[in-house]
Amino acid sequence: MLSYILRRILSTVPVMAIVALFVFSLLYIAPGDPAVVIAGDQASPADVERIRESLGLDRPFLVQFGTWVWHILHGDLGTSIFTSLPVTALIGQRIEPTLSLMVITLLLTISIAVPLGVVAAWKAGTWIDRAIMTFAVFGFSLPVFVVGYVLAYVFALQFEWLPVQGYTPLSEGVWPWLQNLILPSIALGCVYIALIARITRASMLEVLQQDYIRTARAKGLGQRGILFVHALKNAAVPIVTVIGIGIALLIGGAVVTESVFAIPGLGRLTIDAILRRDYPVIQGIVLLFSFLYVLVNLMVDVVYTLVDPRIRY
Amino acid sequence: MSLSTTRTAPVPPGLVIAPPLGDLLLPVKVRRGFVGFLRNHPTVAIGGALLLLLILVAIFAPYLGTVDPTAIAPAKRTRAPSALYWFGTDLLGRDIYSRVLYGSRVSLTVGLSVATLSMFAGLAIGLVAGCVRWADGILMRFMDGLMSIPPILLAIALMALTRGSVGNVILAITVAEIPRVSRLVRGVVLSLREQPYVDAAVTSGTRMPMIILRHILPNTVAPMLVQATYICASAMIVESILSFIGAGTPPTIPSWGNIMAEGRALWQVKPYIVFFPAAFLSVTVLAVNLLGDGLRDALDPRMAKSL
Amino acid sequence: MDRRTLLKGLAGAGSLAATGGLSMPALSQGASARTLRFVPQANLANFDPIWGTQYVVRNAAALVWDTLYGLDGQLQPQRQMVESEEVSDDGLVWTFKLRPGLKFHDGEPVRSKDVVASLTRWSARDPMGLMLKAIQNELTAVDDKTFKWSLKQPYPKMLLALAKNNSPCAFIMPERIAQTDPFKQITEYVGSGPMKFAKAEWVPGAKAVFEKFADYVPRQEKASWLAGGKQMLVDRIEWVVIPDPATAAAALQNGEVDWWESPISDLVPVLKSNRNIAVDIADPLGNVGSFRMNHLYPPFNNVKARRALLMAMSQEDYMRALVGDDNSLWKPLPSFFTPDTPLYTEEGGEIMKGKRDLAAAKKLLAESGYAGEPVTCVVAQDQPITKAQGDVTADLLKQLGMNVDFVATDWGTTGTRRAQKTPPGQGGWNMFHTWHAGADCLNPAAYPAIRATGDKAWFGWPTSAPVEKEVAAWFEAKSLDEEKAAVKRLNKAAFDDVIYAPTGFFLGYTAWRKNVSGIAKGPLPFFWGVSKTA
Repeated sequence: MLSYILRRILSTVPVMAIVALFVFSLLYIAPGDPAVVIAGDQASPADVERIRESLGLDRPFLVQFGTWVWHILHGDLGTSIFTSLPVTALIGQRIEPTLSLMVITLLLTISIAVPLGVVAAWKAGTWIDRAIMTFAVFGFSLPVFVVGYVLAYVFALQFEWLPVQGYTPLSEGVWPWLQNLILPSIALGCVYIALIARITRASMLEVLQQDYIRTARAKGLGQRGILFVHALKNAAVPIVTVIGIGIALLIGGAVVTESVFAIPGLGRLTIDAILRRDYPVIQGIVLLFSFLYVLVNLMVDVVYTLVDPRIRY
Repeated sequence: MSLSTTRTAPVPPGLVIAPPLGDLLLPVKVRRGFVGFLRNHPTVAIGGALLLLLILVAIFAPYLGTVDPTAIAPAKRTRAPSALYWFGTDLLGRDIYSRVLYGSRVSLTVGLSVATLSMFAGLAIGLVAGCVRWADGILMRFMDGLMSIPPILLAIALMALTRGSVGNVILAITVAEIPRVSRLVRGVVLSLREQPYVDAAVTSGTRMPMIILRHILPNTVAPMLVQATYICASAMIVESILSFIGAGTPPTIPSWGNIMAEGRALWQVKPYIVFFPAAFLSVTVLAVNLLGDGLRDALDPRMAKSL
Repeated sequence: MDRRTLLKGLAGAGSLAATGGLSMPALSQGASARTLRFVPQANLANFDPIWGTQYVVRNAAALVWDTLYGLDGQLQPQRQMVESEEVSDDGLVWTFKLRPGLKFHDGEPVRSKDVVASLTRWSARDPMGLMLKAIQNELTAVDDKTFKWSLKQPYPKMLLALAKNNSPCAFIMPERIAQTDPFKQITEYVGSGPMKFAKAEWVPGAKAVFEKFADYVPRQEKASWLAGGKQMLVDRIEWVVIPDPATAAAALQNGEVDWWESPISDLVPVLKSNRNIAVDIADPLGNVGSFRMNHLYPPFNNVKARRALLMAMSQEDYMRALVGDDNSLWKPLPSFFTPDTPLYTEEGGEIMKGKRDLAAAKKLLAESGYAGEPVTCVVAQDQPITKAQGDVTADLLKQLGMNVDFVATDWGTTGTRRAQKTPPGQGGWNMFHTWHAGADCLNPAAYPAIRATGDKAWFGWPTSAPVEKEVAAWFEAKSLDEEKAAVKRLNKAAFDDVIYAPTGFFLGYTAWRKNVSGIAKGPLPFFWGVSKTA
């Protein structure tokens, strides 16, 4: 098991390398020179050249790429062109809101979706099942920002139960922190809830038809016991897979949610950086996201072994 | 036919005589043909019908009481829905009804193109990965890398490369979806590889292309078809999100995404600008999802586990 | 007490109990009467007002750094850091004396050497500063409080150059900071202005915090724009960046922020109807919308094609697209200068007035030799002003029968592309949209967009000898009448040669909660004199 984990970690290196090369090349080819944006409207071409030189933008591709990789290996993700702050500092400032949003969303969606899916499977074919599945499909079908706006309007403006925007750090208290995250999590989580509920239902259905379930029922085990002790554990593998895949979805959706609810997280940082051609920041964030995703995949694989002892590596 | 129970001997206590089978077995209505298929699987029917309706709307948009969707009339901006402007006018005075109907073309094009292109690319890659062992590792690591890049970032970067266009949006979303399709196909190929009949085919000397064509491909059709519908639905939503942040379809071409993006600041005061395209988008995506669900249930219930 | 406060209070109590009293109550500092929460017009991503010329940087910099002179509400330069100035009879030597009591945020007094270093850095980037540098003999510190600028030619507009509020402003920084290369960002934000910048709390793009500088000594005069006594009546200012206008409106209505710099005009009715919110025109100097054509390549290298567009375009369409149905927010602008200012003139602007003659415009276009070449129109989608103008232009070109190549992109890419002098088909452009603050169109001094020096001019590279002649005449004018005459001729020449196309004059609103008072109209948000009750 340990050797498996080590092998997996090692195999992330080529993955990360590919991502790094890909991202770096894309930005290199993309038009939109940060030197021009920095120089401003009144600058002469000579000024722009000076800025390019000072930023190192005039060196050949491989040299720039090599320098960048070298710095990363030393823990230095570069310096933002626009704010002159180290990229690691910028990411550090913004990571707490995004992580908080993702964790709360994950917790919320799993705690809602899994029971929903289980109930739907248990009552398969009845109106409860259809109702839950219809809700699930609706969750898929609405764009995140529409849900976000409606939630903000109803719960923040009209009822005034929750704030409209912003983020309060955890250090200022658990409830204020949660307050700012509830509406965004629900908005972001809609799609996720739908996805997980469906997979849970499908997987549970498959499992509920197995012989050992019939045996358990014959033995006289109560419904809850069967559902949660026997069935869910066996159905867990695809559910865990989907949760893993969904984290990538969350990252994408977080960008929009952070925009709508004015949460100062990584998503907004990314958009701003891309629009301003702040290369070091873009590269740093994409690397970070990729690394997170790869890490999540690894954790998913490890969770498999916990959930299903038959899976051995 | 019932079993007669005329007996003269006494029945031993505790012995239960089985009821006549005739009462248990009711005749099963067997539905045949396409119509039968639809009646058996109502979700496919509903989803498919809605989607067909929308495709027709998209094709016949010019004849459905629309005006030029790009004609601006700033003096008549943000008018509420009325007899003249069925869905109201947007920030530049353009008729929202016309824009929404024409917008269906973009969304459907994006959805269907992404689905088709990612299917073909994913199929090719997945087949190669599954059949050619040494390529498997490299290809899958590459796919992992690709999957790690959030599609939104990819799309914006591509848009910045040249300009905002429907083609770039399709390209960006396709690239993001290919890894998943290729994983799916690879999974099918890997599981089939172990099947005895494939083994037999290999031993009896059938060449690889033939094996792929006759044994593997047919088995990929069903899961791929279902996956295609999900990709189509997701692509439409992603397009709207991209337009929302300004990296999607250029404004000269109305799309549901950019109609919503333009009206987003005013949704509190003039909600109809966002409401109508949102409703159309939701219904379309719903239809496609229902279609996918129905197809999945119809084609192979066992697929449900893997999707 | 409204429901939110009650819930917050309960929650605060709850979390207090839950975490054993370690957490702060939910009503954090933000809501106190000594903190002002402001939503700026854009992200404050960087904070060097000489290096970065965006308006938002200048607005924030005005809090942290002070200037030698400040422009007042009558557009006249007034002394700010300077106590007295003296110019020699031949106009070649300017001697300035700093007023007493000026201190930097790190405790050091402001000395002449700081001023000299700051002006040197400023004049490397600013157009008027560059003019001064070109005719400069030397800029030296005579003693700690006196400095001298000696020139080779007289420069009557010296005080205006030092007072103007167009970026980059002549902010005074400590010598060690001002010695940073003008093309690199400063990393320390120490000034002598009324507020200190709380760098530790800065989240670029999300939040910026300013704290009152206790040792600031304001002037005795009443504050008027950047002149006079800058009295701070709040202890702390938080700039909260909310990119989504609907969210910002909701936050203002909810009381989560106190002042919104630029509400979009469509949301203003909602704000006006809220009894806790006041809305007013932000800046009487307003803005001038514009699109610029590329004078280097066809079709717009021919003046007839350019004039054809002026003939056909409807400023009403452009302005309505920008500001909506509120007629008090826009004016037609047959001029390149700001209405209701001393130098405003409509000379030569007849082509913009009257009913639009599409037929005549098409004829003129044909005469210019337009043969259907694609017109590459670059439109930034992420700026509402350029986006709206771009949509109207696309329609205009279509109506004229021109072949539109609409390039939808973002502001950053527009910035790069408009600098390309290559042909439109090879990465260049034919048209792009922008706008200027009215404060930047008062006179030819800090108005690069009106210059017509060909290759050295602003993007579009117009060439017009008559325009340049009148610009020189303005600089040399010795009285207001001479200035007005020069500007009249300048305006006419600019329309004749179509330096750019003004799309109209428009105003913007600003909105604040009624418990905030002291908000003044002006080209930038002024925080002095602003106070808040709980």
